[in-house]
Amino acid sequence: MKEKFDSLRISGEERIGAAKTIAELQDVKASLLGKQGALTDILKEIPKADPSVRPEMGRMANELKDVFTRLVDARAEEIRLAASAISADFDLTVPGLPPLEGGLHPITQMCYDLNDTFRSMGFEIFQESDITSELYAFDNLNFAPDHPARESMDTYWLAGHDAGRGPERLALRPHLTGASVRYLQTHKPPFRFVYPGRVYRNETTDARHERAFFQYEALVVDREFPFSAGKVMIKSILSKVFGRDVPVKMRVAFFPFVEPGYEIDMGCLVCGGTGCSVCKHVGWIEIMPGGTPHPNVLRAANLDPAEFTGFYVNIGLDRLVMMRYGVDDVRLFHSGDLRFLRQFN
Amino acid sequence: MKLSLDWIKDYVKIPDDIKISRLAYDLTMSTVEVENTVDFGAQFKEMVVGEIKEILPHPNADKLRLCETDIGGDVREIVCGGTNLAAGMKVAVAKPGAMVRWHGAGELVAIKNAKVRGIESYGMICASSEIGLFDLFPFTDEATIVDLSPFGACPGTPLSEALGLDDVILEIDNRSLTNRPDLWGHYGIAREISALYDLPLAEFAPCAPQSGDPTFAVQIDDPSRCFRYIGVKIEGLSIKPSPFKVQSRIWRVGMRPINAIVDITNYVMLAVGQPTHAFDSDNIKGHITVRRARDAEKLLLLNGRELSLSSEDLVIADDEASVGLAGVMGGGKDSVLPATDKVILEIADFEAISIRRTAARHDARTEAAIRYEKGIDPERGDGALSLSMKMFAEFFPEMKVTGFHDNYPNKLERAEVDVSLDWLARRLGKRIENAEIEKMLTRLGFTVTFTPDGKFMHVVVPTWRSTGDVSLPDDIMEEAARLHGFENFEAAPIITSFTAAINQPEIDIDRHIREYLAYRCGMREIFSYPWVRGEYLDAIFGSREGMLSISTPPSPDEKYIRSSLLPGLLKSVSENARFFDEFALFESAQVFKDGDYGCPYDERESLPSQRRNVSGVIVGRSDEATVLFRRAKGIVELLPRYAHIESLEFGQREKPAWADAVAWLDIISNGAVVGSLALVSTKTALACGIKNSAAAIFELDIDALKPLPSRTNKFEHLPEYPRTEYDISMLFDASVKWEDVYRAVTSKKGPEDLVRGISFVSEYRGRQIPEGKKSVTLRLVIGSPAKTLTSAEIESCAGTVIKRIKKAVGGELRT
Repeated sequence: MKEKFDSLRISGEERIGAAKTIAELQDVKASLLGKQGALTDILKEIPKADPSVRPEMGRMANELKDVFTRLVDARAEEIRLAASAISADFDLTVPGLPPLEGGLHPITQMCYDLNDTFRSMGFEIFQESDITSELYAFDNLNFAPDHPARESMDTYWLAGHDAGRGPERLALRPHLTGASVRYLQTHKPPFRFVYPGRVYRNETTDARHERAFFQYEALVVDREFPFSAGKVMIKSILSKVFGRDVPVKMRVAFFPFVEPGYEIDMGCLVCGGTGCSVCKHVGWIEIMPGGTPHPNVLRAANLDPAEFTGFYVNIGLDRLVMMRYGVDDVRLFHSGDLRFLRQFN
Repeated sequence: MKLSLDWIKDYVKIPDDIKISRLAYDLTMSTVEVENTVDFGAQFKEMVVGEIKEILPHPNADKLRLCETDIGGDVREIVCGGTNLAAGMKVAVAKPGAMVRWHGAGELVAIKNAKVRGIESYGMICASSEIGLFDLFPFTDEATIVDLSPFGACPGTPLSEALGLDDVILEIDNRSLTNRPDLWGHYGIAREISALYDLPLAEFAPCAPQSGDPTFAVQIDDPSRCFRYIGVKIEGLSIKPSPFKVQSRIWRVGMRPINAIVDITNYVMLAVGQPTHAFDSDNIKGHITVRRARDAEKLLLLNGRELSLSSEDLVIADDEASVGLAGVMGGGKDSVLPATDKVILEIADFEAISIRRTAARHDARTEAAIRYEKGIDPERGDGALSLSMKMFAEFFPEMKVTGFHDNYPNKLERAEVDVSLDWLARRLGKRIENAEIEKMLTRLGFTVTFTPDGKFMHVVVPTWRSTGDVSLPDDIMEEAARLHGFENFEAAPIITSFTAAINQPEIDIDRHIREYLAYRCGMREIFSYPWVRGEYLDAIFGSREGMLSISTPPSPDEKYIRSSLLPGLLKSVSENARFFDEFALFESAQVFKDGDYGCPYDERESLPSQRRNVSGVIVGRSDEATVLFRRAKGIVELLPRYAHIESLEFGQREKPAWADAVAWLDIISNGAVVGSLALVSTKTALACGIKNSAAAIFELDIDALKPLPSRTNKFEHLPEYPRTEYDISMLFDASVKWEDVYRAVTSKKGPEDLVRGISFVSEYRGRQIPEGKKSVTLRLVIGSPAKTLTSAEIESCAGTVIKRIKKAVGGELRT
């Protein structure tokens, strides 16, 4: 008799533990404890048994009933806790709910990336106004008095302020470099700053040319600053922007406000340097001018060129963003078109 | 500028192992930007010299002939309509595959074997205009075939070889030449190539013709404007074409051959960069004088145009009148014409800026003026004279020099620069050996001497670099760096001193605001142009007063410079509304006003008002206008907390022209209006092209906001005893303001007050609410710092609040 109880206990425990759902568990419970259940079957045999073992059998039967009831309850709790809170056929492939739309302009993103890089190298950030005078746009920068950039076919002079010369002649700034001198004039050397901003040129626009575009100027003026240290600046900029080392070369170029001056080219990322339509089949793309501030520019900032030197680069942010993402029309940046802007986060 | 490699090789022998691609790369890295290299002979692919053996009539056409033509061991039949065909004549044959231009017009097309009036023709016998050679073989009758007989090439010889057209043209970006007048011309580039590869450079033999006429002289009235004038009177000339090779060279680099005399002057200019000019000396009365023009003096040009000169213009004159505009162009009177047989050759040097101004004044940026305005050194005249005389003697063996005068009052001193080699090494970040520096500079024509200790060098600059180009140690540094190769400097660490961490709250405020709007408020940043159309100003501000404008604007109606960011935003709203129903935009940029002139930096300057603004717009359905307004208001309300600036308030002082009649607020900081917040009025929206949407806008003057020195969060202890939220709904007159309800609850707060907070939940009008009334639900937070409140205490607190509200603004509790 005892063996019967023992084997029922073992198989009962197993079956309760194996139940996966509440419904299964109910079936198991019924098959053990129900009216036609196994335990009930044993209980039915008690009256037929020897009277001397009946109390013992009754005791074992009740004990087993308690055990099964406890196990079923515990298992039911386990199943409830493990179960999903929602319907089993919930579609996991439905997209999540989006957070708020919104974001910065891709050029602002680029600008902030660069700001963070330069701040980490100890550069201040400088901001200046869009309207400036010829004195700062050209004179201080060593531009010849008859330089063609001073003409109205290149620069947006302001009506009613375009007759005089120097400080009296006002324009939407044609470049940032002029106002860098303002920084030099109002701070104590050594200097180390970046200067992002929008500049304006009287141009015919097309996919590669804009009238309003963004420059990012970085300038160091110090007692010692070799040309070769400037290469670190350039590499920092490009590796930050493109997330890896980019081949760079510097070649001779002339800008009135630097000596020596050079044009900085980067390897074309579209073709990897083998030549494509983006790089006009030369494998390199002109990315920024650079150089050592011309002694006359340092003088305009009341600095002695015998004592100070420096390094300057001026990055075209529009071009850089175009390279970063493969944007093929510079005019999109000022389009305010959400279909374009929402692609950049 | 176009340069012929064939021509450059006259002056420097470039070894075959220096490929054209490397030459172009090295020049680009160190000297000038080579934009392109063009295989000039490629355009004559599949074109050969043919010899016409026999000419037969065409059976089906009167004007056509069948030419049995030897194209190199192979006689083919070619149909041709040329009027000058003759047996034995050598012609240019375009074989199948060659690219030609039918009748010299339209696109290039490939030649195919084809039947011409029923007869199969092997390619084509060409007229010059059909293969791009019209300038070298001009004709008057279109049916004239190029006659190659004088070139003596065998049949089958490729055309480009027969005519010496196998050349490479280097196209140089002129912008990279502006500061290097010495590089204008083939000789200047040859000099750089000789320096780059350490190759010998050909020199021009010195030349001083004997003057036949001792009285021949040129006079210079203003040596500050004319540094040198070489006049050579040459007789025994005639008007005839120059040798084919000279014509071809001039033509390959973009000029048209004219006649031998004019071609010599152009050739010399293209070779050495020195403009030269030939006057017909029969028409020169007396002597040549270089002088300032008289005011309103007239100069008649060859094309019949008459210039009115000013005393700022320099002229070449004879004893009677001006005959040419110095350094720019000759006049009509003394031009070389068909009857010319003697000339005065001018090789002169003029001051650059005055030439530039004269050329601009008379709208005549000629080839000569373009070169003079860069600044030419007067010594260059020697090379030009040498080459000119050699060519005249070659083309006109019977010519005689009958007058010569080299008037050179204003010698150009060679610039001298002392350079410390320690300084050079420090500035470059690398020490280049003295011997290397000397070698590099010497190849470029500099003279270098070192002090005995080798620590300093004295550099004498060649005249062709002394016109303002090289004058400082920094210029010498550039020469050393570019010839050593910028790519041959390793990157070196930046070494600095540290004083203090960077802290620029006035700069960072702009970024804090932008990031808040973009990432917390879900707005999208846009950029728009600063110039705006007048009609936008009318639509938004009802006025164009106080606006700055551009003197040469992008388009006539886009001349105003924005005084607010609204025009750009509203334009963008109307454009985006075509694709989206709900969106939010913002822009941060400077705005301008014709006023508040001044400059914080330089007292000489007087700049107009320029202030950083930020403006945002929320766009949605027209029936959601109040929600849009409240969203915009919420953005402005929380902006100070997130951007860490001093707090902002609202008020109503003066309604902006563009604002809705009811839904508008001024934004106030420290008592001053710093911006506005409003729904865009229907009128303005429609005028800006916004039809089925409502828009709520705010604009703030960032420069008027005061950034706080640090984050502004304040810590409070967490409550020790439970707090209860308690909602109250009350019925008010529709005119009751939330502000007054809020004040009624918060203003009389005593120390025992259990109200810890009050907030607006909702407002409702409509069903169940009587006309002229509204239901407002507010939420109290009730709690005590000392104990847990009983429900009776909570109810009593709420009851007090309700009484206070009723007393202040009236109203009934809704149940």
